[in-house]
Amino acid sequence: MDFQTNLIWSNLPFLIQGLWLTLSATVVALLIGIIQGGIFCYLKLSKNIFAYRLSSYYITFFRTTPEMILIFWGYFCIPLITQQKISGFWSGSIILGFVTAAYLAEIFRAGIEAIPKGQIEASFSLSIPIIPRWRFIILPQALKLMVPPLVNYFTELIKNTTLLSAIGVAELALQAYLLGGQTYRYLEFLSAIAFIYFVIIFPFTLFSRRFEKINELN
Amino acid sequence: MDWTYFTEFDFEIIWRFLPALFSGLWNNIILTSTSFCIGGIFIGTMLAMVSMVKIGIIRWVVIIFTEFWRSTPLLVQAIWIHFAFPVISGLQTTPFQSALIALILNVSAYCSEIIRAGILSVPKGQYEAAKSLGLPIYVSWIKIILPQALKTVIPPLTGTIISIFKATAILSVLAINDIMRAAQRISSYTFKPLEIYTSAAILAFLIGYLITRFGNFMENKFSKEES
Repeated sequence: MDFQTNLIWSNLPFLIQGLWLTLSATVVALLIGIIQGGIFCYLKLSKNIFAYRLSSYYITFFRTTPEMILIFWGYFCIPLITQQKISGFWSGSIILGFVTAAYLAEIFRAGIEAIPKGQIEASFSLSIPIIPRWRFIILPQALKLMVPPLVNYFTELIKNTTLLSAIGVAELALQAYLLGGQTYRYLEFLSAIAFIYFVIIFPFTLFSRRFEKINELN
Repeated sequence: MDWTYFTEFDFEIIWRFLPALFSGLWNNIILTSTSFCIGGIFIGTMLAMVSMVKIGIIRWVVIIFTEFWRSTPLLVQAIWIHFAFPVISGLQTTPFQSALIALILNVSAYCSEIIRAGILSVPKGQYEAAKSLGLPIYVSWIKIILPQALKTVIPPLTGTIISIFKATAILSVLAINDIMRAAQRISSYTFKPLEIYTSAAILAFLIGYLITRFGNFMENKFSKEES
């Protein structure tokens, strides 16, 4: 067995291209997820029973259905329904964004509900208007609690972008797989991307763990 | 927007190919349960216990193993085991075997962290009491520490069963005959992607929902026993 490192270096541009697609899919999914997750969190916290039901059905569905099936569904069925050509990258990232929204909505809700009720009641009794109430009382406390699960989910999302390779998006995993097929050197390329993923994801894991400890101490 | 696809939903196709989808789903369930029992409970507990050993090297090996498997995507692990590992070992595994190995190792890494946290949640006095009563080490683990750890471990473990189930659909990239593969083959055979993928998604959702309900049931049961 010989490990040819020079093969990785000579094909590095392809891997970087793949990495770029991975990261941009992550960013697209995260943007959709934050906006939509915020909306669903608002609906779930609202007193309207229909809004509550709608958002809890959405969250349950997207949290329990395998992402792979949803991605394939989006890839084949969004173009049929919208009658427009949509690339694998966009349909995949949008579906991942929907899944992210379901998870983030729950994280947001858990963070907001973890604030002691007395804080919100106190802000009501002091008749603080809604914007300062959220800006100075609820959000600063909630965000602190949300950071570790948010970072954890972010790492999950980076891992989930590999699923886009199944619908032909040439992100990092697919690039390495194709390069391995071309050169018959799967070992080098697959080990290289495993290492790249580890280097990207592991610092976030450490950060969220550190933050969790700080939260516990407070 | 063209909603006619929904009004012209072809149920006949779904009925015709439902058995094929179910046989795919069965493979998913087998993968989920095997990897949870072997990887999650058995290897996970072993890793969790080994990671508390006082010998530095052993502990670090286990920690590096779990961190590495937690920080890389399952898809990469699966194709690594299927395509790259044979180069090192010279053993060619079938797709199903490689999928199962990747899943077992992945699940064991996740579960060992959960079980470790459960074991750490047992108060130290319990260990000391067991020691001062002169109990042999395996008796104190089996009779005293693990049963108490079980209570804190059950809710997150049932949560991992659902994520294992979701992860099994990823393994279709190795061309094992799971629900995803079945849906792909049927839809390229019948040219009815909307019907087939929608029914596959609903089937998978139903199984996932059953697992979630089962998890809630277990959680309630265990929290009742405590009180």
